[in-house]
Amino acid sequence: MIIMKKNDPTLGEKTKIIFMKIPTKAYIVITILIAILYPLLIMYGTAGQLWLRLAVRTEILVLLALGLNLIIGDTGLLNLGYAAFFAVGAYLTAIFASPRFGFDLPFWILFLASGVTAGFFGFLVGLPTLKLRGDYLAIVTLALGESTRLTLNNWDYLTNGPGGIPGIYHPSFFGYPIDSYVKFYYLTLIIILISIVVLNNLKNSKLGRSLNAMRENEIAAECMGIDTTKAKILSFVISSVFAGLAGSIFASFQTFINPTNFVFMISTMIVCMVVLGGMGSIPGVIVGAIVLDTLPEIIRQTFSVWLPSVFGSDFYANWPHILKDLFINFDRYRMLFFGILIVLVILLKPEGLIPNKRRQKELRETDPREISESEKTLFDVEEGKMDVKV
Amino acid sequence: MKILRVENLTKRFGGLYAVNNLSFSLKKGEILSIIGPNGSGKTTLFNLITGIYPPTEGKIFLKDDDITGLRPDKIAHKGIKRTFQTLRVFPNMTILENVLVGMHPIIEENIFNSIFHPPIMKRQQKEATEKAISILSFFGTRLTGTRLHHPANSLSYANRRRLEICRALASDPKVLLLDEPAAGMNPKESLEIMDQIKQIRDKGYSIILIEHDMKVVKGASNRVIALDYGEKIAEGTPKEVSEHPRVIEAYLGKKVAKNA
Ligand SMILES: Nc1ncnc2c1ncn2[C@@H]1O[C@H](COP(=O)(O)OP(=O)(O)O)[C@@H](O)[C@H]1O
Ligand SMILES: [Mg+2]
Repeated sequence: MIIMKKNDPTLGEKTKIIFMKIPTKAYIVITILIAILYPLLIMYGTAGQLWLRLAVRTEILVLLALGLNLIIGDTGLLNLGYAAFFAVGAYLTAIFASPRFGFDLPFWILFLASGVTAGFFGFLVGLPTLKLRGDYLAIVTLALGESTRLTLNNWDYLTNGPGGIPGIYHPSFFGYPIDSYVKFYYLTLIIILISIVVLNNLKNSKLGRSLNAMRENEIAAECMGIDTTKAKILSFVISSVFAGLAGSIFASFQTFINPTNFVFMISTMIVCMVVLGGMGSIPGVIVGAIVLDTLPEIIRQTFSVWLPSVFGSDFYANWPHILKDLFINFDRYRMLFFGILIVLVILLKPEGLIPNKRRQKELRETDPREISESEKTLFDVEEGKMDVKV
Repeated sequence: MKILRVENLTKRFGGLYAVNNLSFSLKKGEILSIIGPNGSGKTTLFNLITGIYPPTEGKIFLKDDDITGLRPDKIAHKGIKRTFQTLRVFPNMTILENVLVGMHPIIEENIFNSIFHPPIMKRQQKEATEKAISILSFFGTRLTGTRLHHPANSLSYANRRRLEICRALASDPKVLLLDEPAAGMNPKESLEIMDQIKQIRDKGYSIILIEHDMKVVKGASNRVIALDYGEKIAEGTPKEVSEHPRVIEAYLGKKVAKNA
């Protein structure tokens, strides 16, 4: 019989320790390498093209999740209409680089202009609404998202309504066209890497600290000289810029957009990515976006294509109808899958898959040596009295 | 020289006069203590001075600058900083970051620098960090060393109070408001913190100190104001105020009521 000593680390703990010993830099380098090599691994064959296309879509979602994280994770405000800013960027690019009005402006100008326009849109929306708190802001942004989509749907002259804008040109840089999935993949990867650097700088800046301080204690933040309304608007604008940039890539990648690309579901999905991955954590939201966008696709491929092709097309013949339907038409159950995944994360790992260091520390308890005897008995806070603003 | 002046300040919550027709001034480089039983309006006075509540009536001047009704962040920029009786550190930010946030009024940084971190900003950040550490080392090793990078919620309550003082000092305020900095500390720690507050004054800071226990402020204050039901009932040296009949009544009244 094996008697385990109490302080022997279990296998799980051992692997955890091994993982913890790897320095952060190594993780970053490995991740970037994988990201660079990924197309080379899957590029060949028709299935490869499909996965590559999916990868570009995932990249665009990563960009969106990174941008939304600034609002949800760092600033602690909910934006349920993020797809509206995505739409502004996409439509701006579509209108000025398609046969619709005969414009063909250079992509890099449109890319920047999409970011700026979405940012300005964010400013206009943020100015009156960011004085609202939590729930109200969520409702207002939700309404904004829907009304933006409806406007796009009905403004026939500009957007061609539900018909959408076809024939959007691919980008080209000084005559070098970005016209294949691989090229799009690398273009978007470069943009993501720059975004990560920018967002990381922001975290370690006066503005980044202001946002965090405001989220943690708004009154104290104000008394430290932080103009909370200004900081909120700034973070809202920067976050909108990211959505606009992502929209611009999306439009030129898809070559065709219409209002159904910007439904409420897209906004919710990006929120889910941020929550699943870990609010406030850059690696977290990247993983969140990758998992939520690719996992359903992997499951779908496995059950609807791969299994039947290996075991014959009558593989599901004797299965109960409901399971058969679930596996063959997994696409239809995607939302159910999201719901279950989010509920599981909230129950089992509320801080997300790769938590923000700060939030993780939140779970660590006060060091007992830190509390002297006297404090245990004498300390008496008047909790909450100052929370009421008159 | 008078650095802060409060004139006929009144704050009403519904029918309750939390601060009632209060006038006083703070001289440069002194410690003015505000004492009074619980609920006598001391914290409300700080909330009025720092702009958290607008006053119902009255005016507040910083030197000759009318700051009545300004937003809290504007007032912080003008040079009034405070600590909170209810402890409002930024719990998940590190101790160093807490002090850096306190330094915000004197850190010049535009949005371009925030995003691109040019070399000039790296140098600026290094200087800010060094300054933060030197402020934190005022309390010995309690807040420095490896603790610099621990979240503030890993600190004991007494150390959180010390951190709040450092955070307030970080922008070299003209006026420092301390709301019961010794609350929750044992008698030895109380004595120590009062001594440290005197040291801060001796560096040239002007301080208003709230404390409900007369004994604690006695040694530390230059002058004392006693409040009861939002009104000033006595003002003078610690000795004069502690012997004032209305002060004794306010405190004894409390005690008698408590024992009954
Ligand atoms: N936001 C508020 N709303 C209503 N009443 C308040 C508010 N803040 C303080 N008060 C009341 O004002 C009085 C003074 O409170 P406070 O200034 O906190 O006293 P102290 O700090 O001297 O103990 C108390 O009766 C308190 O209940
Ligand atoms: Mg009080």
